[in-house]
Parts: sequence; C-alpha cells; structure tokens
Amino acid sequence: MIDSFLLVGLPYLAITVCVVGTFWRWKTQAFTWSSLSSQFLEARQLRWGSMPWHLGILLVLLGHLVALALPRVWGSLMTYPTLLVITETVGLGAGAMALVGIVVLAFRRLTSGRVQAVTTTMDLVVLALLFFQSLLGVLTALLHRWGAAWSTATVVPYFWSILLLRPDPSLVADLPPIVKAHLVGAWLVLLAVPFSRLVHVLALPLSYLWRAPQIVIWSGSRRARMQAKDLAVAESRREFLKGAAGVAVAGTLLSAGVLDKLVRFFQGPKISGEMETVLLAKRLRHLQMTAEEQALQLERQKNDRILIGRLSELSATKGKYFIDFHMAPALAFLGANGLPLLISAKCTHLGCTVGGDVDAQGQILCPCHISYFKITTGEPNPGAPAKTPLPHLEWAVVDAAGKTLAQRTAGGAIEGSLAGVPPEACQVYVCRPSPEGAS
Amino acid sequence: MDVRAQISMVFHLDKCIGCHTCSVACKNVWTDRPGAEYMWWNNVETKPGTGYPTHWENQEKFNGGWVRVRDGELKLRCQNRADAFLKLFYNPNQPTLDDYYEPWTYKYEDLFHAPAGDDQPTAIPVSQITGEPMEIKAGPNWDDDLSGSPIYAENDLNLDKLTAEERAQLFEVERLTMFYLPRICNHCANPTCVAACPSGAIYKRGEDGIVLINQDKCRGWRACIAACPYKKIYYNWKTGKSEKCILCYPRLETGQAPSCFHSCVGRIRYLGVLLYDAERLVEAMSVPDAALVESQRSLILDPNDPQVIAGARANGVSEEYLDSARNSPVWKYVMQWKLALPLHIEYRTMPMLFYVPPLLPVIGRKTNQTYRHARGGFFAGLAEARLPIKYLASLFSAGNVEVVEAVLKKMIAVRHYKRAQEVKDLEPAAVERLMREAGTTPAEAEEIYALTSLPTAYERFVIPALHREESVEGVLNPEVCKGCSGFGHAPIPGRGA
Repeated sequence: MIDSFLLVGLPYLAITVCVVGTFWRWKTQAFTWSSLSSQFLEARQLRWGSMPWHLGILLVLLGHLVALALPRVWGSLMTYPTLLVITETVGLGAGAMALVGIVVLAFRRLTSGRVQAVTTTMDLVVLALLFFQSLLGVLTALLHRWGAAWSTATVVPYFWSILLLRPDPSLVADLPPIVKAHLVGAWLVLLAVPFSRLVHVLALPLSYLWRAPQIVIWSGSRRARMQAKDLAVAESRREFLKGAAGVAVAGTLLSAGVLDKLVRFFQGPKISGEMETVLLAKRLRHLQMTAEEQALQLERQKNDRILIGRLSELSATKGKYFIDFHMAPALAFLGANGLPLLISAKCTHLGCTVGGDVDAQGQILCPCHISYFKITTGEPNPGAPAKTPLPHLEWAVVDAAGKTLAQRTAGGAIEGSLAGVPPEACQVYVCRPSPEGAS
Repeated sequence: MDVRAQISMVFHLDKCIGCHTCSVACKNVWTDRPGAEYMWWNNVETKPGTGYPTHWENQEKFNGGWVRVRDGELKLRCQNRADAFLKLFYNPNQPTLDDYYEPWTYKYEDLFHAPAGDDQPTAIPVSQITGEPMEIKAGPNWDDDLSGSPIYAENDLNLDKLTAEERAQLFEVERLTMFYLPRICNHCANPTCVAACPSGAIYKRGEDGIVLINQDKCRGWRACIAACPYKKIYYNWKTGKSEKCILCYPRLETGQAPSCFHSCVGRIRYLGVLLYDAERLVEAMSVPDAALVESQRSLILDPNDPQVIAGARANGVSEEYLDSARNSPVWKYVMQWKLALPLHIEYRTMPMLFYVPPLLPVIGRKTNQTYRHARGGFFAGLAEARLPIKYLASLFSAGNVEVVEAVLKKMIAVRHYKRAQEVKDLEPAAVERLMREAGTTPAEAEEIYALTSLPTAYERFVIPALHREESVEGVLNPEVCKGCSGFGHAPIPGRGA
C-alpha cells in the first residue's frame, strides 16, 4: 500500500504539481524567479560549496537523463565492461563531489549569520532533500555497484511506465531500500521545484550563447512604427508560411503514398506463413493438374488412336464431347449411315466451344457469336461470324478382338463396314491426323 | 548612420561642494528598502581616495569593462559566452558586501527602555542584515574629506602613475588637496552590463538611452555587477535581483529632473540630449587609449546638421528630442566648448555622463616657512596646479594629458577674461594672448561663464517630452499589445522561496 503510493501516487502527484505549479509561478510570480545567490553576503565558503555541488550534480544529472532518455543506447553501451567501469567511476566521483559541495553549503548556511538572514524554511527543506538525495545516490553507487547497468532493466522501464501512464511499480519493488528511497527522493525533489529556489534550474540562460551583445527596447512612436512594419512582415510571412505549409503537407502525403506503393512494389507482397501454405497448396494443386494434363497429352502423342466410347453410346442428336489430338474439344455423333461422325467443336470464328445439341436443321450452335454449323458438312450458316467450316476428324471402329472394322481416312473415304456387328461391341476411336493435317 | 538620442549628463566638478544632498535625495526616493540599504545609486567620492565600493577602479580585481582585442573588436574583460555559465555558480569578479560596507542602524529603543542605572544608556549599532550588534568598520563615504590620509588617499590607483614629485604636489598646501566626484550610472552607450547579462534582462531604452533592468527577467546571475567597471549595479541581497540607477525615469517622463539633479545644492548638474551614431560604436571604442576621448566625440552628432536631423527623424527620434538636443547644455559642454570629459573612458563603455574637471589653482605656497603668492599671479600656470594633470588625465582622458590640459587652459582663460572684465587688474593684451592660446573667444567665454555661473533650472535641465503615452498607442493589432497596457496586477516585490 505504502509502496504503491510512493512509487505510483507520489510520482504522478510530483509531476502534476511540478508542471502546473512551475507554470503558475512563471506566469504570476516572475519577480520571485531568481538564483537567490548569497555570494554577495559570503563568498569564500560558497566557492568551495557551490562549484563542486553544481558541477558534480550537473554531471550526475546528465548521466541519469541520458540513461532515462536513451535506454537502449545506454543499455547497449553498458554491456562493455570498460565503459561500465568508467561510467561508474565518473558517476561516483561526481556524486561524491556534489555531496561534499552540499555539505559545505549546508554548513555555510547553518553557521554564517549573514546567510541565515536570507534563509527561508524552504531553503532548509531543499538543502535537506538534496543532501539526502545525494547521500542515497552515493550509497547506491557504493553498496549496489553497477547501477548504470542494472538500472536499465529496472528503474528505466519503471520511469517510462510512469511516463507512458502504465505505471508498473513491480519493476522496482524488489530493489534494495536505499535505491527505493533514492527514487522517492527524486520525486520529492520534483515536488519541491515550484515552491522553492529550485526553479532557477529552469532559468538556465542558454540564449546567452547566441544573443546580440546589446539590447535596445523602444517604447515610443518608433516602436509602434517598427511593430507595424514587423507585423506587416510577420503577417505576410505568416500567410506565406500557411500556404507553404499546406503545400508541403499535401506534397508530403502524396509523395509518402507514392513512395509507399513504390517500396511495396519492389518489396513484393508480404504474406503470412499460413497464407503462404495455402498458396503453396494451391500451386501444388495447379502443378498436379498441369502434370495430369501433360501426361494426357503425352499419352496422346504416343498413341495413334484415342478411345471415345462405344458406338452404342453415340447419338445422332446429342454429341459426345472429347478432346482431340490438338487438345481441342470435339464432338462425336452417330451418323445417318450408322457410322460415327466426328467433328471439331472449336469454333472457327474465335475458338469457342460449340454446343453439342443438334437442332432440327442438323446444325450445332456456337453460343458465343451465334454461328450454326451443319454437322454433316461442317459448313457455317450463311452470314454467320464463322466463315470456314468445322473440320471432320478421322475415326476408326474397332471390335472387341481389336480388329479394325471400319475407318475414315484422311481423304474422307470410309473403308470397311459394320454390317452384322452389334454397336455395343464396337469401340470408336479418334485417329491421329495425318501429317498434312486437315481432312 | 544610425542616429540615436541619449539623455546625457554633465557634472561640473569645480562647483561640487561635497554635501551629499544628491546621495540622500536618491536614497530617500529609491534605496530606502530592505536589501538595498547599502546601495548608493548616487554617491559622492573624495578624490584622491579609494571610492565606493573600495577600489572600484581596480579592474585587475573586478574585471569590469571592455578589452580592446584589435581595431574594431572588443571583448568583455570578465567573461566570454562559454565561461559565463561557469560563473553562474560562483563569480570570482563579484564584489562582496565587505567591499561596500555592512549597513547598520542603532538600537534607539534602548535609549528609552534601558533600566535605570549609573551610566547613560547608549544606542549600540546593529547590522541591518543580521540584526546582530556589530562593530562599524566601514560606511558610505568612509573616506570623505580624508584626502590626506595614508589609508585612503594614498591607495588611490590613479596615483600609481605619478612621480614622487607630482605626488608631493598633492600635499603641498596643508596636506589637503581634494575634490569631490559624484557618481551615478553613466547610462553608457556601449554598456558592459547589458552585454554580460546571461538572462538578457538589462536593456537600453531606445528613445532616451536609459539603461534599465527588467526585474521580472533578472535571475540574479550577477554577471552585470562584475561587468560594470563603475560598479554601478548593485545586488539586492534580499530579493536576489540586481538594481541600478534608473535616472529617475518616472520623473523625467513627467518633465522633472532626476532627484539627484533636482536637489543639487551646488547646481553642478546639467542634463540634456545628445545625438550619437550607434553604428560606429564598437569601432570608435576600440581605438588606442590616448585617442578614446576624441573618438567618443567623433560619435556625437551635431543636432544642427540637416543630415543628422534627417537620420534622426528616420530613426524615430521625436521633434521634441531634436529641439532638446539643439538646446542641450551637454552638447555645449562636451562638443561646442569641449570642457566636459568622460570618466575612465579606457573602460570603453562610452559613458554618457561627462565631468568638467576641477581647476584647483595654486594661489600660494610655502617656501622656507614663508607663505607667498605663486608665480604668475592669482591663477597660476597649469604646471603649478595642485592637482597634477596626470592624475586628472588618469581619471578623465585615459591618460592623455593634452586633452585635460586643453580643458584646464580654457577654464583658466575664461577666468582671466572675467577677472579682467570685472576687477580690471589684468593686462588686456595678456588676457587676449591667454585666450588665443586656449582657443577661445570673448563670445564663447561669456557663454561658458553664463552657463557655468548663472544658469536657471531650465537651462541646466533641458528635458524633452518622452511621449510615454505613445507606448500604449501601438494598438495596431490587439495581439501585439495585449497585456502591455491597462489594468494589471502589481504584486509587491518579495523574495522568492
């Protein structure tokens, strides 16, 4: 309970109070914002207190802040033993320096009458806080060595968990009491910022590095005029900037989109393992089907004849589809003479498969562009999109013993007859077309 | 040409009687507050003497002012941009309370509440800082009128360059040669305090050149105190902010002379506008020491020159300022008559407060226990002046004796001219020769006499209207002026926690 207050409640209290309070003080109490230096009253001891304190604590704070801000970089750096030893030594040295400094400052404040004349209660609170905080820091470095390394897995994630509003005190719950006290001390120092002289840290005058040496402020008509000029410049600049910003944003979005597509294109699709197995399975199936087809084709290439079916299965009005030697669809009918009639079903117009039903005029229909073909001649009806006739294919009728009873040769002539043989016993084959091709 | 106006001052040291009325007037108006007890925005020093704070002229110790790097380049003696940050923690150049004095009061109530006894009750001194009884070791003007004393006068740094003979000259008559040096902020044209302030809280007002500290922006880094070579910025130990002379700008804005000017018994103080060329500031302040006075004069612009007037108007200098500049007593003393000189111009801040050096003529001297008139009559020659010229040159012309000599010659010539006119005991031909040598004319002598001896308050203080009302007029865009005017809350200044 107390742990969860000190490690979760206190941090949020401290951060909120620090941010809100400091802003309030900055807005309303600007006059009180000062380093409140007492060097004027006592300089000799201050030198030996203030210099080591400030330099030491700045170095230590820098180390803490880098570790907190760049945990990964810091963590990976701390895996080098030499670097770790150097960091720990420098840190301990700086911490000790700060501790000595704060002791000297505390001694000075408590013994010098002049300094006491400007000492407030808050000064003493801050002094005590900073003394204990430095002491705990130095003790941590001495008793629980290699804090620069172990803190990356405990304190740093804890700090970020606080900052990212997912507080996880369990990360530091098992740390030694000194370290926990040091953590609590840090939050207390933060809590004291807006109510004490600690605000002077935020007044670090960095702009002195680049500002012009002389500052002149006009308050009369010249200022009004200069303001008018500046304002006009600023306003036209503002309008320009607004436009430029719009263009820039749009351009950025556009190019980001394009770039994204480009990159994705060159990267290729990103698919999950599951998806990949599905795709591979599909591909395998395709390959299998292709292999079957290839096998079929190969078989066709090997044989001179391919079986279509029994003669008794053929009908005069309903064609039986088969695949011919060109791997094109074809139809088998029972001709008027009782012999088979084999005709290509690949429309001579654009290659659709022609229908198998024979109509009253003895024609079959290609449904794509309405071409009627006479099955006896293969001729398309006049005016049909197809201009050339469907070719007849060569066939052979074989009996159960394997003897060829009848066949249609390349010339269209029919040899042999089926007289006396029952159609159930006759097998109809399509024959390999002769090298010169068409019938 | 970047023409700027500056409210400038002349102190006529021949007229100063060392009464400290100016200091008291200032104290009562501005520094009668906790934390400011030790501050004397206006103080009067006895010269030769060590001054306030003690040895303020010792720049080896306090490192104030600018240092010439080469022609056209100056740098702060106290810090550079980087080490200024180290000096935030401890500034080795900052004077401490002991360099000034510990302010005290007396336990007056003891006089009334002491139990009856055999002896008279006394009011013992107590520190105004700690409230504890203290032994008074120093105070404001501790060396007042102690010019002959070996503790104070002998330690004056300006005596260092003098020969033993010249030093002896100082103590010729009854061991008492001294003059008074009233000092306020010089409102420099090239101030080091502004350049040194890490927070950028100190600024020069554009229209009148008054140097002010924004108390809300000041963070108490104390760099200005070290940087000001005149030690005219003070640290308020109670509020933790720096303070300085504000040239009574609230009085100026209502057409009144600053308190110290107004109250001056000897009427030694003159105030008026000077126009100067801000563009060549650094260039003019980075010449060798001996040329500095002339270099500063070259920056001050003639308010009657049409080109200067046009430049001033273009820069937003108001007509009232131009009028004031034309009637400025400061322009007359500094540029027309060349009688007034800056104090320690070798600090290169271009101070805009000028001094007419004192003329201490020897009217007699002791020889063989007999007191006789000096050779050369009532106003003896410069060589026999009781104040060695070298001493004056070290104060007012960065060691250039000729500059001081020219001033003193002219002053002597004017005196001879008036004596010949009024007392009629001098040869007119001799007076004429003297005036020729001094480079003055009867007309000029009359003018000098009139402004030195008989000026009215309106001739001494030519104060232009400052038009502060215009500062709220800039209501071009409410965004710009929001919060600049109207009613706001004014919290009582107090020390932060």
